[in-house]
Amino acid sequence: MGGEKGIIFDIKEFAVYDGPGIRTTVFMKGCPLRCRWCHNPEGLSKEPQMLTPKEGPPRLSGREWDAGELAGRLLKDRDFYDMSGGGVTFSGGEPLWQWPFVREVVSRLEGVHTAVETSGHVPDDVFEEAMNAFNLVIMDIKTMDEKTHRAFTGSGNALALSHARALCDGDTPFIIRLPLIPGVNDSLENMEAVADLLEGAKKLLRVEMLPYHQTAGAKHKMAGLVYDPGFDTFRDPRARIEPFELLGIPVKTL
Amino acid sequence: MTERIAALKRYQWDKRHHAFRVKEAPDASGYQRTGLPDYERTALRLKASLEAEAPVLLPGELIAFTRTVPALPMIYTKQEWEDIRKKHTIHENGNVCNLSPDYAPVIASGLLALRDKLTDAPYHRAMAKSIDAVLDLTGRYHQEALKAGDMALAKVLARVPAHGARSFREALQSLRVLHFAMWCEGNYHNTLGRFDQYMMPYLEADLKAGNITQDGAFELLEAFFLACNRDSDLYPGMQQGDNGQSMVLGGITPEGKDGFNLLSEMCLKACQDLKLIDPKINLRVSSQTPLEVFELGTELTRLGLGFPQYENDDVAIPGLMRLGYEEQDARDYAVAACWEFIIPGKGMDVPNIGALSFAEVVSDALKEALPDAASMKEVTQAVEAVIFARVSELAGSFGSLYIIPSPFMSLFFEGCLDKGRDISLGCKYNNYGFHGTGLATAADMLAAVEKAVFEEGLPVPVLFAALEEDFKGYEALRDTLRYDSPKMGNDDDKADRYAVGLLDMFSRAVEGHRNERGGIFRAGTGSAMYYVWHGSELGATPDGRRKGEPLPANYSPSLNVRLNGPLSLIKSFTKPDLSRVINGGPLTIEFSDTVFRNEEAIRKVAQLVMMFIRLGGHQLQLNTVNRDQLLDAQEHPGRHRDLIVRVWGWSGYFVELDKCYQDHIISRTELGV
Repeated sequence: MGGEKGIIFDIKEFAVYDGPGIRTTVFMKGCPLRCRWCHNPEGLSKEPQMLTPKEGPPRLSGREWDAGELAGRLLKDRDFYDMSGGGVTFSGGEPLWQWPFVREVVSRLEGVHTAVETSGHVPDDVFEEAMNAFNLVIMDIKTMDEKTHRAFTGSGNALALSHARALCDGDTPFIIRLPLIPGVNDSLENMEAVADLLEGAKKLLRVEMLPYHQTAGAKHKMAGLVYDPGFDTFRDPRARIEPFELLGIPVKTL
Repeated sequence: MTERIAALKRYQWDKRHHAFRVKEAPDASGYQRTGLPDYERTALRLKASLEAEAPVLLPGELIAFTRTVPALPMIYTKQEWEDIRKKHTIHENGNVCNLSPDYAPVIASGLLALRDKLTDAPYHRAMAKSIDAVLDLTGRYHQEALKAGDMALAKVLARVPAHGARSFREALQSLRVLHFAMWCEGNYHNTLGRFDQYMMPYLEADLKAGNITQDGAFELLEAFFLACNRDSDLYPGMQQGDNGQSMVLGGITPEGKDGFNLLSEMCLKACQDLKLIDPKINLRVSSQTPLEVFELGTELTRLGLGFPQYENDDVAIPGLMRLGYEEQDARDYAVAACWEFIIPGKGMDVPNIGALSFAEVVSDALKEALPDAASMKEVTQAVEAVIFARVSELAGSFGSLYIIPSPFMSLFFEGCLDKGRDISLGCKYNNYGFHGTGLATAADMLAAVEKAVFEEGLPVPVLFAALEEDFKGYEALRDTLRYDSPKMGNDDDKADRYAVGLLDMFSRAVEGHRNERGGIFRAGTGSAMYYVWHGSELGATPDGRRKGEPLPANYSPSLNVRLNGPLSLIKSFTKPDLSRVINGGPLTIEFSDTVFRNEEAIRKVAQLVMMFIRLGGHQLQLNTVNRDQLLDAQEHPGRHRDLIVRVWGWSGYFVELDKCYQDHIISRTELGV
């Protein structure tokens, strides 16, 4: 075994929303953003932490794996991936925050379809390398509005948007995901701005809308956090797909 | 769904036909008489039951026959029955049950052709009496149809089941009457068998001759399926919904050809359209089955119907042959009420005669052997000895089996008419089957002992004290055992190899035993309702399970364990050689309904099933559940009358179940994907 080490908080088999075929998704711990609607709060901190569930004893979330061990764990189900056109997806947290580790695992998954779910909020050189390493990139665009982005995620969006442009100009198949947060980013203007950004992207497979779910706050208490999203969680977000349809971009609401 | 079918479905859903049901029982004095042979009593009772029936035509129905006199007094007086019980083994309630009648020849030739073969021998006279009673009621239904001006129905009833069916509609109506009469004879868990195989010739001929369109045939098929839901509430087994109306689709034919046909597909689509609990679909598949068939099945899973249940020909057929079933018969297998493999028209197997509780066996062996054991090998040797002893004891405990005879049912079984010998006395296959309950819990127990005692040095007296106290004062130990020990279902050989070993022991233990009918014993992975009984009787166990906590249903992981997910689950549960435990019993996987929010999920779930089959799984059953909905249904049953769930081997309406079964289903959702 040996190699790079990384902190993982979950491995989910048969993740049906994370790319083609039967897939296993690895959830990497640690994220540079603090989105107020985050539904995986145990992915925020880079360090292992105790979770206190309603039933059963407290359990440790996050443990260190080495790259060889993880690759072995993932490859044991290679027969499922191969027969279904599936593979492995890295998610989080922000998986590219632990890029040297993820890079090594991916290199050990030779011949397996790999995907990453990223916020794009990572250094340019990491993003560029990653674009070339994965068969599919699934990237979030939270909002085109810099101020709103800062207010609801704690960071600006310039980095992410420059990486979205890189995807549009690149050769890696990609999907753009829009978390639809009521009153935050579900306006027509925002959708139009996203659609403009994506217009003409050769390798864009589709745009996926992820309407906000009221269960997003379910795990915060377990992780010792308070869920205070700062928007109207009871209003259903609007899925405005017209701007995308106008430009012929396939769009799907999950 | 046509308007006619929609209206009829609504009519039945509102239970308007229940208004025709009468409380009075048929007069039993005519047959509860000393000196009358038992088969004669059954025939007289069938006559009395059918004579008491008043023909009822529901508005717009295409397939007639509705039960109006549900009561069916026993053929024996209370005293007589008590005496019989003292002298004999009585299985369940004593009636013929859980068989797969061979409908095909009876539908093809009609009852009168069979009647012509009967002699004056007393048993044959009982068969003739039964046939006459069925035809008499059919005649009265015919008159009723004429009176109502339904000439089409009248024409059908004038023909069948007296004579051979000539069209798809006649064949369906014939089947309806024959199946209806079986219940009135007192038989239960009357299955429908390989419907797509024996019905397809009629459909094919009609389509070819242009007598019917495919849409017309689909309407008839839906009308028949509706009829299966008409009286089924009168036929509960252990629970409401457990009525045994299973139907088998697809699979290879006795000649070795692929049997999946147009009618198989229509049946799956009719279930999707009607969304009712009957008939309960079993889909026979193999490594040769194309993905599209699995996708059709998955459409039903998505609806939360709890079926289809999948059976793997690649495993079941060699498994049955290994037990002595002839190749043609093995290829023709059907499924009894839940999952038991049985042969249509030839099997008088009793696949659920008893059960081995793996969890109890391991618990007992540990008590006996662990204090002095130097290694896990010694422990597993003790387990093997207990299994062999328990199986021996079980195999010897069913002497002098008595089943109430059924001359009418016997018309559907090989040799009964020719030999004048009732089906209750046996047929070509007379094997008994044992369930094996709590396998995963037993494997988890052994894995936990290996880790805690042999690897980490937990003193045995401490473990036993903790079990004795039901972990009171030993909470930390319990958490370790429960959450930090290897579990079957996580593709972890440390647990799985014990499951492989336990099933191997079980299948070897039944070898060589013979029952009094000359049959053998079949080991299985099912649980039926034993999972509740065995669980409540069992004290705390070393896998961290508390006293009385339920065992998993059928071939499934323990409850309340942390699982990696369905890929590992399938890997774990396909490690044993399942062809050697072919009494049956499915792996059950629960899906959260959110899985199906994505259209691609149909294909992905279908691929998952396909992989289970390719890896050598024998039976698989998938549930789609919404935990919040289940909880709400317990609270407000009135709002969830149509909520369907799979229980141990059959689909039923959640709100009609006893609470212990409801709770078990809710706790299973913890394992949901």
